[in-house]
Amino acid sequence: MNAGSGKTNHRWLPLPVGAALIVIAAFVALKAVRPVIPHSVILLYMGFIVLGTVIHITLEDTRIRRFWNFFLSHPGEGGWPKLQRLAVLALLPAAAGWWAYDSVRPTYAPPVEIFQRHPTVGEATLARIVVPPWAAAPANWRDSDIAAGKTLYTANCVVCHGERLDGAGPAAAGFRYPIRPANFRDAGTIGQLTLPYVYWRLTVGGIQNQFNSAMPRWVAAPGDANASSLHSNDLTPDEAWQVILFLYRETGYTPRAE
Amino acid sequence: MRRSATPDRRTPPAAGIALVAFLATAAAPALALAQSVPIPDYAQPAFIDSRLAVWIAAQLHLDFAAFVLAVPMFALAIEFFGWRMARRDPAGAARYDWLAHEMARLLPAAYSLTAISGALLGMLLFSAYPRLMAYMTETFGPTFAIYPLFFVAETLCLYFWYYAWDRLQGRRKWAHILLGLLLNIFGTIVMFIANAWATFMMTPGGVDEAGALVSLYGAIWNPGWMPLNVHRLIANITFGALLCAAYAAYRFLSARTEAERALYDWMGYTGNLIALFTMLFLPFAGYYFGFELFAYSATYGVTLMGGVLSWLFIIQAIVIAILFIGAAYYAWLGLLRIPGSEPQRRLVPAFNVALIAGFMVWATPHSMAASIEESTGQFHPLLGALGLMAPKMIAVTLILVVLYVSYLLYRRAGKVPVVAWAATGTRIEWALIALMAATILGLGIYGYFAPADVRIKTSIWQILVLIGGIVVTFVIDLYLLRGARTQAAVRWGTMPRRGQYILILLAFVIVWLMGLMGYARSGARLNWHVFGLVEDTSPGAGLPPLGDAAIVVTAITLIFFALLGVAFAISALGGRAGLPAFGDRAGEAAA
Ligand code: HEC
Repeated sequence: MNAGSGKTNHRWLPLPVGAALIVIAAFVALKAVRPVIPHSVILLYMGFIVLGTVIHITLEDTRIRRFWNFFLSHPGEGGWPKLQRLAVLALLPAAAGWWAYDSVRPTYAPPVEIFQRHPTVGEATLARIVVPPWAAAPANWRDSDIAAGKTLYTANCVVCHGERLDGAGPAAAGFRYPIRPANFRDAGTIGQLTLPYVYWRLTVGGIQNQFNSAMPRWVAAPGDANASSLHSNDLTPDEAWQVILFLYRETGYTPRAE
Repeated sequence: MRRSATPDRRTPPAAGIALVAFLATAAAPALALAQSVPIPDYAQPAFIDSRLAVWIAAQLHLDFAAFVLAVPMFALAIEFFGWRMARRDPAGAARYDWLAHEMARLLPAAYSLTAISGALLGMLLFSAYPRLMAYMTETFGPTFAIYPLFFVAETLCLYFWYYAWDRLQGRRKWAHILLGLLLNIFGTIVMFIANAWATFMMTPGGVDEAGALVSLYGAIWNPGWMPLNVHRLIANITFGALLCAAYAAYRFLSARTEAERALYDWMGYTGNLIALFTMLFLPFAGYYFGFELFAYSATYGVTLMGGVLSWLFIIQAIVIAILFIGAAYYAWLGLLRIPGSEPQRRLVPAFNVALIAGFMVWATPHSMAASIEESTGQFHPLLGALGLMAPKMIAVTLILVVLYVSYLLYRRAGKVPVVAWAATGTRIEWALIALMAATILGLGIYGYFAPADVRIKTSIWQILVLIGGIVVTFVIDLYLLRGARTQAAVRWGTMPRRGQYILILLAFVIVWLMGLMGYARSGARLNWHVFGLVEDTSPGAGLPPLGDAAIVVTAITLIFFALLGVAFAISALGGRAGLPAFGDRAGEAAA
């Protein structure tokens, strides 16, 4: 090895050790975040971090040389460099071993479900849903309807969706798979949806083939023969619209224009 | 410049055959209608599932078409630059002319493949989906007739432009440029017509409730048409430029002389630069297209972003990130070619961190459910926050700032400014860039807490600040580097080999990405041939799962490269071309 690379090898932290430490630190940090970040997202982030590390090392030829030099033994080097080398070399098989173990060890979990926030519905289905005139324009919503909606919400929805509409009702923790009751204050829920779509969600609920959740069905779909045997269908269509108006008014969102 | 004595002047017969086939297919529906026999809804002409067959043919056709449309655009621009500088710098002009020709090299063969795949697509569509195509013919009849005309015009221009290159040099160069211009105009028209059909199927316009034609103009200029035109125009250039860059990388890696290596290094650099530049606009063009789709029907919004295709967009985000990071990495490696670029290189690690961090935000999914063991059942608050529009806008715009600053540094590398105010000017530039980044960040944070309508405005302001900042600093930079002393010339050909492999990787990635998005664009219609008008009632009219789609897309990508390889082999038969000289290497290059 030439003098230059020899010198750089005596830096405080050899390049491969630094790289390994960064990757490990990032992994530990991501794993430590509470609530837990989903495994697949951590994988995604780690991919980026490893990529960035590889880019950093390969940006300069000298850095590549320093990287490989670390794995060669040099005459007269002390025990410390040797230890670091062994540690880094041990890391790879250890990680691979853990990965293999982790993927075959028995778990009780059902497969990870990609929960569709907003299941797709046919245009034709939505077109059949007629918004009553008094519910169509937010400017014309009557206070009496909102108040009725609030009563209905408190009676039927609070247990799951919570008093503050944040998805943290007393029963919410019981329904954690695949997804908790929706947090209507989150920008990703009703704020993104049109009125017919929300109504459709209420009429189909979550228990069907398309997607699965604890969300009950509240209104019978027109002409649904076995509706009552499945669910209670407590709300009349008008009542359903009243609850929906309440959801929007209370959270300050407006329905998406059709 | 003189190219070798045996210019490749043969017209591949395949192109002619394909053309005839194409015209025949275009005429077929008219015949079918004329006979007015009852048309079946579906048929299965191929041995495999019709949907799959059409999918593969359509995507291959699109890939080749994108290539043959895009390459003449920048090749012509490069040729034009060369022509303008011929008086000042004949050697440089010859080099530009060589580059333009080299980029156009794969065109004739690729063009035949475009025609063949197009003919195949047409035949499959008309035979497998008679009802749909009858409806399309009814609606778009006149355009079906005009289309082949422009196609023929494009073909003629292309072959003349390419094969008359050496004859129309010197005083007749203007004629060649004109031919190239016509080629581009016809090519763009062809694409715009085809886009009208494709977007009509997504966002039909100009028809009444029952689907009967009211205005052909409205059917062509349907809500999705312009956005797709813009998006495809830009994306095609990225696509073509990356493929040219990959070709250059291949030639670099297999080069036998230094002169050859230098030229292909330069070609790869140019291709990557064009790609990177056009890529900057793509996210916005994509948002524009998506925006129009959402406006057309809320169903699209739900399908694309929260529904069945939402996972696909996470993958898309990752793949785009790889494209950008790869292109930036190549650009950073390029600093190694410039002696005296050490000060610039010292900053690159920081850029790397910024870019990676930015893309981590950009690719963050908003609503990813955890497995039951880790699940609290709620979408993660951190992901929920990062996965929203506002942080992503901050991330994208700041990424663009980083890329732009990388480019400024590249310009500066190895140069010593001579103007008196150089030091102050540099400081002002940095201050402006910092201000720009801070403003973008501030606007984004403000938008995050603001209601949706304000948020859209702040994101527009972010883009305006970005563009304004770039323009101002770039003008300053132009004046600052005026007459700057060059410490040493760029040492073309000294790019590390890993840079070339990156270019090849990027070409693969963009073809794959095009395939993926082709699936998304068609898949978004769900169970409709023509959204809301002609329902898909064929057996198996569902979306294939993403995993299956990825396999098909990968297969298409491989087929595309295999065919391109054939085109490449054909073009390599066309005799050795003499190489132009490269700066101080004139002596070696003359060989
Ligand atoms: C048993 C618990 C439970 C009750 C009671 C309940 N929900 Fe839900 N709800 C859920 C769950 C779980 C979800 C999330 C999964 C989903 O979107 O299907 C949800 C989702 C929703 C959504 C969809 C939000 C989106 O972003 O797509 C709406 C709207 C909704 N609930 C309204 C109501 C209304 C109104 C009531 C009362 C009439 C109610 N829910 C009662 C559990 C419940």
